[in-house]
Amino acid sequence: MLQVLVNSLALGSAYALLALGFVLILNAVNAVNFAQGDLVMAGGFVAVAFGMLLPVPGIVLLPLVLVVMALIGRALAAVAYFPLKSRPPVSVFISTIAVGIILQNLANALFGAEPRAAPPLFAGGLVELGGIVVSRQALAIIAVAAVMIAAQYVLFQRTALGRRLRATAQDREMAEALGIRVNHVIAATFAIAAAYAGAAGLLLANTFFVTPTDGGNYILKAYIAVVIGGWGSVPGAVVGALLIALFEVMLPSLPLIVPGLAGLPGASWLFSQTIATILLYLMLLVVLVVRPQGLFGEAVQRRA
Amino acid sequence: MTALLDIADLVVGHGPVTALHGVSLRVNSGEIVALVGANGAGKSTLLRALMGLVPVTSGEIMFDGTPLTGPAWSRARRGLGYCPEGRRVFPGLTVEENLNVAAAPGASLDTVYKLFPPLANRRDAPGWQLSGGEQQMLAVGRALMARPKLLLLDEPSLGLSPLLTDELLARLRAIASDGVAVLLAEQNAAAALEVADRAYVLHLGHTVDDGSAADPGLRQRVREGILSAKGLTSG
Ligand SMILES: Nc1ncnc2c1ncn2[C@@H]1O[C@H](COP(=O)(O)OP(=O)(O)OP(=O)(O)O)[C@@H](O)[C@H]1O
Ligand SMILES: [Mg+2]
Repeated sequence: MLQVLVNSLALGSAYALLALGFVLILNAVNAVNFAQGDLVMAGGFVAVAFGMLLPVPGIVLLPLVLVVMALIGRALAAVAYFPLKSRPPVSVFISTIAVGIILQNLANALFGAEPRAAPPLFAGGLVELGGIVVSRQALAIIAVAAVMIAAQYVLFQRTALGRRLRATAQDREMAEALGIRVNHVIAATFAIAAAYAGAAGLLLANTFFVTPTDGGNYILKAYIAVVIGGWGSVPGAVVGALLIALFEVMLPSLPLIVPGLAGLPGASWLFSQTIATILLYLMLLVVLVVRPQGLFGEAVQRRA
Repeated sequence: MTALLDIADLVVGHGPVTALHGVSLRVNSGEIVALVGANGAGKSTLLRALMGLVPVTSGEIMFDGTPLTGPAWSRARRGLGYCPEGRRVFPGLTVEENLNVAAAPGASLDTVYKLFPPLANRRDAPGWQLSGGEQQMLAVGRALMARPKLLLLDEPSLGLSPLLTDELLARLRAIASDGVAVLLAEQNAAAALEVADRAYVLHLGHTVDDGSAADPGLRQRVREGILSAKGLTSG
């Protein structure tokens, strides 16, 4: 039971990094970055590539992945956002889809379509923790993601750059009229968002491998997390991501946790990944109908 | 006295609509200049053009001895403090964050809090929780944090009680005595003329009058102009 919880928490915290990046760009430029899922994939491959060059644990590769991905995020802003910034938000949506496809093809050309694994953060295997056996990697993912989520909070709430990022997200023209170089701030937002997606890629590419076509699945997860959590809400994105993972991992494992359920007719069908995914979309629909503002969406003014 | 701001023949349009038809205007250092006129006169357009937020069709703007060009952020850093129509405080930032985010090197929160004591008590309140008056004080204070040479104020009296308006405008005297020039756009001409040194009257994109704010003749013409614009004068 606890083992399953740890696994879903690990998956959820990686999703949280992805969703965080998604919502930061959403708030900064009021546009959906559809490449966010492909940035996770790219981060996974960057980790794989560094892992081939340097035989070190994933935690040592993390700073490298963050830097490379921040540069990719900066490039994404330059090609997919700035040329279109005075166009309607939907054009950014489309241009980021295009960049995502480019990233996919690039990954395919460089690494092939076969699944690859990045090195584990510290070490693989299992560890016993107070009587329960859990995966070392899962614990490490939770720890790294927690530190990065905390870092994002501190950066945004406690630093001068964070103030500028939030001011720009709330009223760009006003921010610029007060002397803030909003283009730099927006570029920084893209860099941070891509770095966070890339970190998620590194964290996930050990347990779940990485293939060039992974992005579509991830962007859906980010999207659902942000809708459930509340469009534009940063804490909402984190909570939404955790809920999604809880669903994905817990539901198929329910018969393991509650042995009685395994005996039910159709149990193997009911407690499957497919049904979990279907229920996830149902949950999304319910949220959209019952609480369209999402879980954390009530105070629109407090976004960012 | 050399002009801090010298605008010559400024023409500004919003697409096909020309909002300013060749406006000329000067603000000297340390001076409070009122820019009065009815709805649609072009006051906001003029201030936005100074900030670089709307493109200029033709004309020249000199600021502090050199042409004023470039993006808004560079104009702010050259010494323009902008307090827009509608205040536009950052709703998700606290009072103190709103002030700090605009701070130029050497700016001090205490100066603003001394000028507007109610803000000091609200320093941790988010912008969206403030009353209209508090928002207006914050918007002025925020513009001052950029340590401007020239403060551009767009309709600060909007939505404030007459008492609060007088109080706020009275603060402009203190601001100007610190060496900051003020260009004050106001529909509330009576209140603006009360605090200003000089005034320009804008009507449908033209400067139709200007002079010393204390000049009884100007005051009389402004009063009549406003009454006739409202259709209140009899035959
Ligand atoms: N964004 C815009 N697009 C098109 N026309 C505009 C725009 N903003 C202003 N105008 C027009 O420009 C003219 C001047 O407007 P402006 O807002 O500068 O006047 P104002 O003196 O500030 O008026 P008020 O006292 O109502 O604020 C008006 O005719 C207005 O309709
Ligand atoms: Mg106006």
